[in-house]
Amino acid sequence: MNTPDVLPQQRRENPDPQERSTPMPRLVLLLALVLVAFGIDYISHADVNSPSAWGDARTRAELVGDRPAAGQGVDGAAIYAAMCSGCHQASGQGLPGVFPPLAGSEWVVGKASTAAAIVLHGVSGPIEVKGQPFNGTMPAFAASLGDAEIAAVLSHVRSQWGNSAAPIPAELVANTRSLHADRSTPFNGGDELAQLP
Amino acid sequence: MSPLAILMSAFILSIVGLGFFIWSQRAHLTDPSTEGSEVIFAAGEIGTPEEPAAPLATRPAAGADDAELAARARADASTAPLVFFFYCCAFVWLLVASAAGLTASIKLHAPDWLTADAWLSFGRIRTVHLNAVAYGWAPMAGLGTALFVIPRLLKTELVGGRYALLGAALWNAALIAGLGSLAYGVSDGLEWLEIPWQIDLLFVAGGALIGLPLILTLRRRQVAHLYVSVWYMGCALFWFPVLFLVANVPGLHHGIEQATMNWWFGHNVLGLFYTPLALASIYYFLPKVIGRPIQSYNLSLLGFWGLAFFYGQVGGHHLIGGPVPGWMVTLSIVQSMMMILPVAAFTANQHLTLKGNLAALRHSPTLRFMCLGGLMYTASSVQGSFEALRSMNAVTHFTHYTVAHAHLGLYGFVSLVFFGAMYFVIPRITGRDWPWPRMISAHFWLASIGVAIYFVSLTIGGWLQGRAMLDESRGFMESVLLTLPYLKARSVGGAMMALGHVIFAAHFIRLLTARGASRRAQPASPFATAAEGI
Repeated sequence: MNTPDVLPQQRRENPDPQERSTPMPRLVLLLALVLVAFGIDYISHADVNSPSAWGDARTRAELVGDRPAAGQGVDGAAIYAAMCSGCHQASGQGLPGVFPPLAGSEWVVGKASTAAAIVLHGVSGPIEVKGQPFNGTMPAFAASLGDAEIAAVLSHVRSQWGNSAAPIPAELVANTRSLHADRSTPFNGGDELAQLP
Repeated sequence: MSPLAILMSAFILSIVGLGFFIWSQRAHLTDPSTEGSEVIFAAGEIGTPEEPAAPLATRPAAGADDAELAARARADASTAPLVFFFYCCAFVWLLVASAAGLTASIKLHAPDWLTADAWLSFGRIRTVHLNAVAYGWAPMAGLGTALFVIPRLLKTELVGGRYALLGAALWNAALIAGLGSLAYGVSDGLEWLEIPWQIDLLFVAGGALIGLPLILTLRRRQVAHLYVSVWYMGCALFWFPVLFLVANVPGLHHGIEQATMNWWFGHNVLGLFYTPLALASIYYFLPKVIGRPIQSYNLSLLGFWGLAFFYGQVGGHHLIGGPVPGWMVTLSIVQSMMMILPVAAFTANQHLTLKGNLAALRHSPTLRFMCLGGLMYTASSVQGSFEALRSMNAVTHFTHYTVAHAHLGLYGFVSLVFFGAMYFVIPRITGRDWPWPRMISAHFWLASIGVAIYFVSLTIGGWLQGRAMLDESRGFMESVLLTLPYLKARSVGGAMMALGHVIFAAHFIRLLTARGASRRAQPASPFATAAEGI
């Protein structure tokens, strides 16, 4: 290939760079030793035996937290936000025609054992709430929530949005649970609930 | 054996292995006759600092003989059209990315602005910004520079430049399609990997075609010793396709493994693609401009192999606190700290090379961009190492602090270095000099002050945000609201950077359209001499 014209820009620049073989500065070698020592130290103190599902470097104590005695101090509002508000809404108003309201609901502020039974086993079929008919399905929470948690979330909804019924103790939930121990299906609408003792 | 013993022995063995490997490279490659390092020089060539202030006519040619000049001219002639295409694309994506980034930044403190169009919503325009930088500006500028430098260092012409041209066309078509699909709302949903995998096939094909000429040219090289820049650039062209292909195979990664892969890719694409391209540019242009050899081949070896070895394992520090195995996170933290070693080697090498030659900074915009970029490499790398420690990560993770760190690396370091490289290369591939050296200064100061405002404000804001989020007594919204003044400052810094880019692009267009701008036809003007160093 013919040599193209050399541009003035190419002519005026310095030659291509090269490297000298100067020895490595001692400081860099020292730094290497310090870093390797740090690595060995860090690894030897690392917690690598916890199950990874707990999250990196988390201990059992940290995850359990200072859990209060049963029933006392379980955060009903947090359970409501996580498990209930998807249907009944944060406002407790439900969705008209689809999900019944909890605010002012006769089922919520009514008999405590019936309210506990609803949360434990769910409801399927027609039910009338505050004069409005609903016909849907509420899931059962007997398997996923403990007595103290159900008591806390019921006490929470019974005290919110203008409701002012008495709190429900965990013992009452436990009693209701044993009463319906052999039930495996949801309650069949408002009619069956109304006949509960 | 316990996991701890396995982890510890693997770490120690690999460090010993790395040390032995570097030593063997050193012992094998360095001939007592130093023939290895002289082979890239024509006889009688000794680098002398340029005297940039001297009028052109009286300046001696910088010590290159005719054979050297002819090889240089041939190498440049073989790459000029190709590099020109890469750089034109880089300019376009730089402007697109700046506009998208600035829009996203303003939206964070003015959320009611531009809400009518879905594609302008924050979630999409921020993603467009990231992808326009990650797959547009940075690779186009970096690969263009690599294609320019490699034939020069191998003393040969580029072989197979047509493949690279086709590859670049495919790559840009893929990026247009990718950004379009992101703006339309179609995304793979993984950060750094948002572009749908169907489009990624085009990137893979384009990237392979761009890498092909490197292999072909390496086989035709006229030098025995590969200069350090070639190591970095060659490896970047090899590493990126591996990363990108593995990360984008559909249906291969699920759940926690997908998150692990996501940050293996996200971090490595920075450290094993953009970083080596930019470091190679510094290794080439810094000694080139000041006319002095790089201080120490030993330090170059340590810097290169340290980066290659440690970097691949550091991505796990993005998952600190997550449900991933403890050994993996621990190893990634240790290797993040070990990265201080190659960074220190690079910094020492550049510092010792530059020592006593700082006067050249006054004359050479290229050197100014390179030096500031190199300093920002040191700063962002050391900051990143400490950010990986669990104690610091607990505060900074999920805050704007991380965003500031990312921009210190990808803008303060990589982009500034590419700016400097482009100021040097464009006159060589077009045969025209930059017409308005003052605009280079304007670009430099807007970019550097802009990124300084950006970094400082977001670092402070992000740290306060992290502290507020850890404080149980303060509501979450408090941690959001307290960042507002810092987000506004970030928009100011970002606007300065974007203005600098507009000036850069306008200057480039002026260079192309100016009549008689060729240096041959022009008398040396006082402004022109100020830009001699590029």
